[in-house]
Formats: sequence, structure tokens, C-alpha cells
Amino acid sequence: MARVNVDGGTLVVEMEGLDKLWALKSRLEIPLENVRGATIDPGIVREPKGIRAPGTHLPGVLVAGTFHINGQRVFWDVRDPNKAVVIELADERYARLILQVDDPRATVNLIEHAKQPPA
Amino acid sequence: MIRMGRPRGFDEAEAVRSAATLFARRGYDGISVDDLVSHLGVHRNSLYKTFGSKRGLYLRALRWHLEHQVAPLLDAIRQAPDAATALHRSLDAQAAGADIGLLLMAVADRAPSDPDVAAEVERALADFDQAITQALTGGSPPPSPQAPAGDRPPPAEALAPALTATVLGLHLRGRVGAPAAEAVAALAGRLDRH
Repeated sequence: MARVNVDGGTLVVEMEGLDKLWALKSRLEIPLENVRGATIDPGIVREPKGIRAPGTHLPGVLVAGTFHINGQRVFWDVRDPNKAVVIELADERYARLILQVDDPRATVNLIEHAKQPPA
Repeated sequence: MIRMGRPRGFDEAEAVRSAATLFARRGYDGISVDDLVSHLGVHRNSLYKTFGSKRGLYLRALRWHLEHQVAPLLDAIRQAPDAATALHRSLDAQAAGADIGLLLMAVADRAPSDPDVAAEVERALADFDQAITQALTGGSPPPSPQAPAGDRPPPAEALAPALTATVLGLHLRGRVGAPAAEAVAALAGRLDRH
């Protein structure tokens, strides 16, 4: 599970508990101008994940870490698909973050209303 | 690996049109990303890459709807020769080649909780008010206030929001098959007496 907050102009993602270990990452900071949007998407866990490097993939149990698909780098940290949120980025190391959060609706609202309006 | 120039592999305008139809029928929360992927013929990755989020796509679809599906109805109302014709035309979206389904849905579904949707909806309702005002005044400027205030009918601009609400309400009633023609005829009759 990840905790997502907005601190000034920055989106801060912190992995909680053992997810730090599985994902090999404890914290991500993304400037809000590089955040394009957030979406509740339980169905995304059924999509092909691509090649894991580095991270942990126990199909049906846990997807955590960095995956490469179609030339894009995607960060996953999901156990419970019903709480999965997709955060689309631009000009960042990751093309998107797919995170399990405690309250998907609140997280999506927070990000959608904090991000810069599209040009 | 250079993939910047790679085509998206789907028709973006067509995806926005189809999304407008889906959201109009089932509302924002009634459409999942799975639904969008299967109905729009767009891969999930492309969907996120193009629109940023489901809400990004919804806003694009709403703006497209207002510009291409609602605008023809407003034109038909503006061009009406009198108030009665304007009211009859406003109820027959199909005849104008128009559709206000997503607007009606957005007013109740998303506008109360999404400021960007609320702003789009408010602009659309103001356009309705303006079109109805124009139909009521026949495009002429409001008469100069010669008569004492008590004797004058309410100016068209003051009446327009109530008529906009009536038009939207009759569209909603029409969804359950309630006939609007008689109500419109009665209302038009009252208006013409002023």
C-alpha cells in the first residue's frame, strides 16, 4: 500500500511497511506539473505487466516494483486490485505509477484537483 | 529506442465521441476504465497516455458534446422567428441534429462535485439563456423603459433562465415518455400574450 500526499507543488508517494522491500523503493517525489491525472482502475491488474526489473511479481498476490512495457517504465505497488489507482506522468523516469491506496476516490480527487489544468 | 513519432494507433476524435455517448448513458461512475477500453477500441496505455485520466477524457467528451451536439440546438433556438417557435424547437433536439443527453447527465451527475464540470455546465446554461433571450426579443435590443415599471412585462433576460430550466426539465420528462407538446403550447401561448 502507498500513501499519497500533495506537499506544495510536489506529489509525494510513500510505500508503507514491507512494500518498501518488495518494491525496492520507499518514496517518490513528482513535481505536480509532471502529473497528468489519476484514475481508479481495478481492471488494470489483468493487463500484461511487461518485464520486471527490479521488483517482485507474485501473480495474483502482489505486483511491486519497476516494470518495462512497450518502451515505457511503469511503477507498481498493488495487492488489492479494488484499491488500485493509476497516476499518469509526463517527462518523468516512470510513465505511470499504479498504486494501491487506502481511499482511491479521495486520492484521485486530491490529484485531479491539485494538478495543473491541461494546456 | 525512439518511439516519439509513433502513431497512437486509434482515432482520438472518434474515441472522444464514443466516450460522450457512454458517459451520457451511464454517468461518470457507471463507466469503468474496462468499459472505455472495450468500447473505444483503445489500449489502456494509449488511453492514459492520450487523456491523462478518465476525468481528462470525460472533460474532453463534455467539451466536444457542448461544441458539436448542444450548439446546433442553440442555433435553432436563436433563429426562431418568435418565442413559441423557439420553445417548440428547443424540445426537438433531433430535428436540429442536436443531442443534450450528456449535458443533462452532467448537470446532476458531476457538476455538484467537480468545479471544472460545473464551469462548463454553467457556460452552456448561460448560452441557453442567451439563445432564448434572443428568440424572445427577435434579436432586437430590449425596449427602452418608457412605461412605468409595474406595467412592463419582465425583460427577456430575466425570463430566460426560467425558460432554460423549463426546457431542460421537459427534456428530462421526455425521457420517461411524458408528452411535452401540450405544455409547450400552453407556455408559448402565455408568452405570446406579453
